[in-house]
Amino acid sequence: MAEPTTMGIPRDGQEGGRKPSFFGRSEIGAAYVLLLPMLVLFGCAVVYPLIDTILLSFTDLRGMAPGKWIGLRNYTTLFGDSNFRAALSTTIVWTLVVTALSVGIGWGLAIVCSLAPRATLVFRVMFFAAYGVAETVSGFIWLGIFRPNTSGLVNAVLAGIGLDGWTNAWLGNVSTALWCLMAAYAWTQVGLPLMTCFASIQTIPKTLFEAAYIDGARSTSIMRYIVLPLSMPGLRVAIFINLLNALRAFDMIFVLTGGGPVRSTETIGYFMFRESMLQFKLGYGAAATVVLLLAVVVISIPAIIKRTAEAT
Amino acid sequence: MNNRRSLWIPVLVGALAVLWIIPLVGLLLTSLRPPGDITQGWWRLDNFSLTLDAWRSVWTKYPLAAAFWTSFKLTVLSTLGTMLLAPAAAYAFQFLSFPGRRLILIVIVNAFVLPQQVVIIPLFTLWRDTGLIDSLWSCVIPFVGMSFAWSVFLVKNFLEDFPKELIEAAKVDGCTPLGTFWYVVLPNALTPIAAVGILQFLWCWNSMLLPMLYLRSEVPLTVLLARVAGSFEPNLDQQSVAAIITMAVPLVIFITFQRYFTAGASSRTGGKE
Repeated sequence: MAEPTTMGIPRDGQEGGRKPSFFGRSEIGAAYVLLLPMLVLFGCAVVYPLIDTILLSFTDLRGMAPGKWIGLRNYTTLFGDSNFRAALSTTIVWTLVVTALSVGIGWGLAIVCSLAPRATLVFRVMFFAAYGVAETVSGFIWLGIFRPNTSGLVNAVLAGIGLDGWTNAWLGNVSTALWCLMAAYAWTQVGLPLMTCFASIQTIPKTLFEAAYIDGARSTSIMRYIVLPLSMPGLRVAIFINLLNALRAFDMIFVLTGGGPVRSTETIGYFMFRESMLQFKLGYGAAATVVLLLAVVVISIPAIIKRTAEAT
Repeated sequence: MNNRRSLWIPVLVGALAVLWIIPLVGLLLTSLRPPGDITQGWWRLDNFSLTLDAWRSVWTKYPLAAAFWTSFKLTVLSTLGTMLLAPAAAYAFQFLSFPGRRLILIVIVNAFVLPQQVVIIPLFTLWRDTGLIDSLWSCVIPFVGMSFAWSVFLVKNFLEDFPKELIEAAKVDGCTPLGTFWYVVLPNALTPIAAVGILQFLWCWNSMLLPMLYLRSEVPLTVLLARVAGSFEPNLDQQSVAAIITMAVPLVIFITFQRYFTAGASSRTGGKE
């Protein structure tokens, strides 16, 4: 497209035929000026760490000593390491249970709330509030709830209803710690599925309900054939985000159990922290991170395809 | 909706919601009751009295004010960085053509899947070698850098519906691409920029892992609380005050602007409003 000029007179005192200056009319120049700060920061905070983590996972970098290339040895050690295999199965249980719990509860609540959207507004915000609390704070709170003696809420309730025999050092017991941790984490995560599913259901046009009502549909069939299928978009978003959140969870595990007792609550996201930042086995920790990364990428493939299509 | 139905639903959901925030109520009561009265739990109603002692004494017990200031600096710097740079990038992606546009865009918008564990080791060695450990920038840089994965996408989605005529008119009037961004697009894109700012503020304020690893002398509230929580000290009332102060600022913002968060959630996965 030709540059717009007024009757051949150069505008703004520009000489005619001047080459577009870098900061001037050139789109390419302007684009890179606008993008440069973002690209530098993104490169430093995302691209470089991503590549470096992968490269480091092939070295035996430890503490301050320079690492040397050892090929796949970190990975073979990793899969022979019983602690890592335990962390792997903990991660699978943790991710699936936490997501099922939080999305299940949130979805159910969203459907119930959608029957009385106005009257439940305040209550929805109450559920959602837990999602805005820092995981560190949630961890601190749940530490008090699971306290081993009767000053912990769970034990006090059990003692109060006559189940004294069930009282337990919840977080100090290998067989219960993970379940308590999952309950606490699910508590923080319910708000999001509640909100996304509720938003999905709210987009259902009122006329659809009216038509169904006029046709004599019972509320159970309205639920089955209208509300359930149409809450799917919100449900899918919620499942995906909650899976990702559970996989990368760290803060709450750190505060509540620190991975213990005897490393029974370590997910891969925690395992890599312990190996690299507490034991200073940086190369080994990087290899564990790559495994975590692979898990994340695999469950994200549909989202990546969708997002790529939408963004371009 | 008949009356019978519209009555039991709020009652049921309300009861569950109250149950849901009992942990938060417990936190508040622990901070307000004398520690001697609640050795058997904050819910015990024998000897019920309230006191602000813990709220007064906590400031000398823990470096809470300093941690609040660190949280504030860290969060504000990271939030401003994202609010300034994400719209610029989104504008370039949406309205300008340049080589590499598609590839860069695809890489950036898909980086949201990366867990923050990925940056820990490389940035730890990088900051150690460059002496940035213990500087606020060691956290601000990854906070801003990682935020582009969702913030650019969120603003760009908004700009897709931006009237092209305005851009064309600016061009015809002789406005440069940079001028168009500054004078035409930016003032009309305040909604998504606010949304980005709120999400980023909350995320940065609540984050604990990177500050815990990269900051030593000046730590934000979350790191201070994590240290306190693991200390097995008996002063639960003061610890609870610290926890409330840690969550108060983001919680107020979160509840006030909760609409943005559902929008933000969909922008993190690709769904549009």
